[in-house]
Amino acid sequence: MILYWIGSLVALFVLFPVVVYLLRSVLQAAEGIVPSVDRITAAAAAGSRDLDAVPMLLTTQAQVKQTVETVADYGGSLDVIVDDA
Amino acid sequence: MPAAGIVLIIAVLLIVAALVYYLVATIVALHKIATGLDGAIAAVGEIVEKSAPVEAVVDDINANLDAAVDALEGLLVKKVGVNDAIGLIDGLYPGAGAAGLRNFPGSGEIVPPRIGEVYTRGVLTLARLGREAPIAAASPEGPVLRHADRASSEVRVLYPHERQVRPERLPNSPVIGTDSPVQYEKALTPGVRPRPRTPLAARSDDDTKGES
Repeated sequence: MILYWIGSLVALFVLFPVVVYLLRSVLQAAEGIVPSVDRITAAAAAGSRDLDAVPMLLTTQAQVKQTVETVADYGGSLDVIVDDA
Repeated sequence: MPAAGIVLIIAVLLIVAALVYYLVATIVALHKIATGLDGAIAAVGEIVEKSAPVEAVVDDINANLDAAVDALEGLLVKKVGVNDAIGLIDGLYPGAGAAGLRNFPGSGEIVPPRIGEVYTRGVLTLARLGREAPIAAASPEGPVLRHADRASSEVRVLYPHERQVRPERLPNSPVIGTDSPVQYEKALTPGVRPRPRTPLAARSDDDTKGES
């Protein structure tokens, strides 16, 4: 009977707090991840929106080619007009 | 039922209740995490998809710009030499000459010459070709060095000793009129004086002798 009492009291005052402590720790860790995941999601969405202007690079590419061609023509003319050092 | 059994049952019930509460709360939190990760994965997928062609386009742009830089550096060095090219670059963008030219190793170690000495022949020709060329300014923030309306005066300010070939102070223009300090005799005919011009002091002496 004494062992029975000891087992009951151990279950009530030792096992139960330990179980509660462990489960609470797991819950706190899981809840701590949620804001981080939310921030990651927001950052990824913002990054995706920032890349909406990527197609403009094609325009930039074409304009750079035109500009380089113009500079090359101008440089060729200068090469003829200006004396060498 | 003995009292010890009731205590044990209460302990077991409390443990089960704690398990249920915390495990359900954990499941809810994990569900939020899974939902958030789904959104993040979708956004990352969009990023990957949108950024896929960037590398090729940027490489092409860089290749074109590299070719332009090589050509312009070569032209500049061909026209004014490496030293003056560094001076030109450093004159336009102060401090940029230290970086040197990409295709001319060691050009970054050249002490940039004064930009006015660089622009003695070829670059002044460039300046004449483009009236509003950016070489008119020492730097984007600095004062204008060459201006269409006040070019020579501004250049002389830069080189007060080397470039100042005229006298510091020219003689004043003569004062004319009836109250001028030097009076001239009236000419009989335009351009012809009645007698050779003599200093005023000598003329006054001659006049005094004649009267006596």
